[in-house]
Amino acid sequence: MDNLLIELAKLRRDSNLTESIQDVDKILEQLEAARESIVQDPNSASFTLAKLQNPLKHGFDKVNDDLKKVHKGQSAYGRALDKNLPHKELPFDIDGLASRPTLINRAISMHLLREGQFQVASTFLDEAQENPPQPSPMPSTPNFSEIDETDLPSLKSRELQDKFSNMYTILNELKAQNLHPAIEWARANSHELEKRGSNLEFELSKLQFVWLFLGPSVNGLPNDMNNGLSGALIYAQQHFQRFQARFLKDIQQLATAMAYSSNLQDSPYYRTFDIETAWDDVSTSFTREFCSLLGLSAESPLYLAATAGAIALPTLLKLYAIVKEKRTEWTTRSELPVEIALPRSMIFHAIFVCPVSKEQTTDQNPPMMMPCGHVIAKESLQRLSKGGKFKCPYCPGESIPSQAKEIIL
Amino acid sequence: MADHITSKLNPDSHLILDQPLLRLPFELLRKNFKVAHLNVEKESTALKSTLRETANASLNANASPDDVLKNVDSMIARMRGLKRKLTSCSEEENRLHQQSQSRIRHLGELYGMQSLDDVKYEEWSRTRLDRLLVDYLLRYGYKESASELAQEKGIGELVDVETFVQMSRVSESLRRGRVTEALAWCNENKKDLRRMESKLEFTLRFQQYIEMIRTQDEQKLLNAITHAKKYLLPFKDSFPGEIQQVYGLLAFPPGVGPDPYARQSLVRSFKPFHAYTQLPTLSPPVPLLHIALSAGLSALKTPSCHSLHAPSSTTSICPICSTELNDLARPLPYAHHTKSHVESDLKLLPNGCAYGKRKLEEYARKAGLDAGWYKDLRSGEVYRCEEATTVYIS
Repeated sequence: MDNLLIELAKLRRDSNLTESIQDVDKILEQLEAARESIVQDPNSASFTLAKLQNPLKHGFDKVNDDLKKVHKGQSAYGRALDKNLPHKELPFDIDGLASRPTLINRAISMHLLREGQFQVASTFLDEAQENPPQPSPMPSTPNFSEIDETDLPSLKSRELQDKFSNMYTILNELKAQNLHPAIEWARANSHELEKRGSNLEFELSKLQFVWLFLGPSVNGLPNDMNNGLSGALIYAQQHFQRFQARFLKDIQQLATAMAYSSNLQDSPYYRTFDIETAWDDVSTSFTREFCSLLGLSAESPLYLAATAGAIALPTLLKLYAIVKEKRTEWTTRSELPVEIALPRSMIFHAIFVCPVSKEQTTDQNPPMMMPCGHVIAKESLQRLSKGGKFKCPYCPGESIPSQAKEIIL
Repeated sequence: MADHITSKLNPDSHLILDQPLLRLPFELLRKNFKVAHLNVEKESTALKSTLRETANASLNANASPDDVLKNVDSMIARMRGLKRKLTSCSEEENRLHQQSQSRIRHLGELYGMQSLDDVKYEEWSRTRLDRLLVDYLLRYGYKESASELAQEKGIGELVDVETFVQMSRVSESLRRGRVTEALAWCNENKKDLRRMESKLEFTLRFQQYIEMIRTQDEQKLLNAITHAKKYLLPFKDSFPGEIQQVYGLLAFPPGVGPDPYARQSLVRSFKPFHAYTQLPTLSPPVPLLHIALSAGLSALKTPSCHSLHAPSSTTSICPICSTELNDLARPLPYAHHTKSHVESDLKLLPNGCAYGKRKLEEYARKAGLDAGWYKDLRSGEVYRCEEATTVYIS
């Protein structure tokens, strides 16, 4: 890209329209001068005009030369563009989404809301309502318009917006190092959080304790008995009781740490009180839990999907090229024919590929565990056993199909 | 076999989606140049001949000094006009140069990144999503949303709001009920439209016809018939059904029977989309967001995403399972995997659910269970550890 930047700089410097404007100006000056002399001496008009013809022609030749230079410069830049960003055909005929713009609009408005772009989201909802999109199904894409009935108002955008604006209020308070709204929220949703196996409520309370413990020099709160060591103690007495059953050990640690308050740096509890990343960490886990309780993923799905798409495209393009060349179609419409490698952070589900059939298990073809503990897909099991006794493909264990147990991964 | 997990970033192939980002301003630059060139050509021919004629007339004393002066004045006026036009071209040129520069810089940032896990990549990719969103919004005519988003994110130089607004004047005039601009546009882009087998011109002519009949004025009705003969009949092979409608309409004054008089559909059929594809070579026919999303949805989708079994409650929710995309992803194929990707220490609980041992232990700890007990991550049922059996995934 650096090369291209240099080419562009050249284009900007050497081949722009400024020169031609200057030369047009020169012609203008000549015309004006001619007019002046005609006004001065009307009798010289024919002479002046005759004398003007050549300079005018030259003037325009000059302008044309200027333009030629611009054209040449643009062509050079065009070639550089071709070289640095070679044209690659995009797979326009394979667009699985053209028939479902309403769902895309829904995804976009939810994305905007979750990003906290409330103003843009509301403009968008207005515009989309006023001018609903028309599905434009393509021959190659299935038309699912019948389930596309979800219209935007049913998205309860207002409700969602209130929720997300609540989330951003709490996050902003966290940024300002005020834990109270977050703790309040966690307490109100304590039951759901516990069910998710989240200890967010305790983590927040713990941070509050540590925050108070570190005292006014760190937290900048007023130096009174509600701050510092005594403040932390009071806080612990008031709030830690409810966590005793689940987090006794952590609470004990925090309590013991009080004994080291004079030289925390050298104490074994140094780590607990190192809050450099603590605020970011609680913000992240707060966002995750908040979204999870709404049934939404913590990261914007639109962002993840678009990013995954950009990563997948080169591979898919290669595939489409092969499919086109061989004039074949892949046989399993429900599954992509090539494997696409994604970063680890983009893998969310357990994936089980049957070691016998090499197929991924599905609801119809679930993973089955034999008594020996090995797992194969149900269809493979049926094929292997033919209803009778069979040997596990991985160990000497023998069993009958009814002994195999469907498992949920 | 390709590796299942990667974080390799190859900028060259990664920029497939971003080609129009540089192509569009370049193509506009060329167009802009053509406009400038055309103007110079036109004015230089006109000026040279005016000068010659005036000089001749003056020489032969056919023209009074006043006439000569008038001609000189008109030449000066033309020249000033030319200068004005060139200046506006130059301004546009400058805008496009500036825009290209910002865009090359933006794309260039990608070359400085080490891997897909780079924090800078995440930021870059977010900007890309914003770009794709603005592009989508513009194509569907959600102009306000598009410019607000672009402004909010400070990516004005990376999106084509301004270019688009310039191009969507035609659809604006249509919305106000004028077809003249749209017809002129059709004329300019005849070739491309024919190649696309566009129905646009027919629809516009049909609308003109409808407007004439709407008046129910006798003279206008006669005009309408002439209009139909001249502009609509040539399409009779392409759109036979509609041609029948054309004549049927004569029998139905507005307000009777089904209403083809609605103007609504016309405005819709001339989406700014068409105006945008004015330069078909560089502006893809479908929103780039569609392409990115359909590839991405498939790459992320697993059979579990539309499974009847709820995913276990502690994992972070997958983007395809999330409400935003779940329905959208339903008809698309799921990703292909050749290797299992499960926790290595799976334990099967008596209810048929399997989880990693470490996960079970952590969950039990967080739930405040005594040692020796597991709690199901989905249902919350509690089991003794001995009841869990080891699962071997090969």
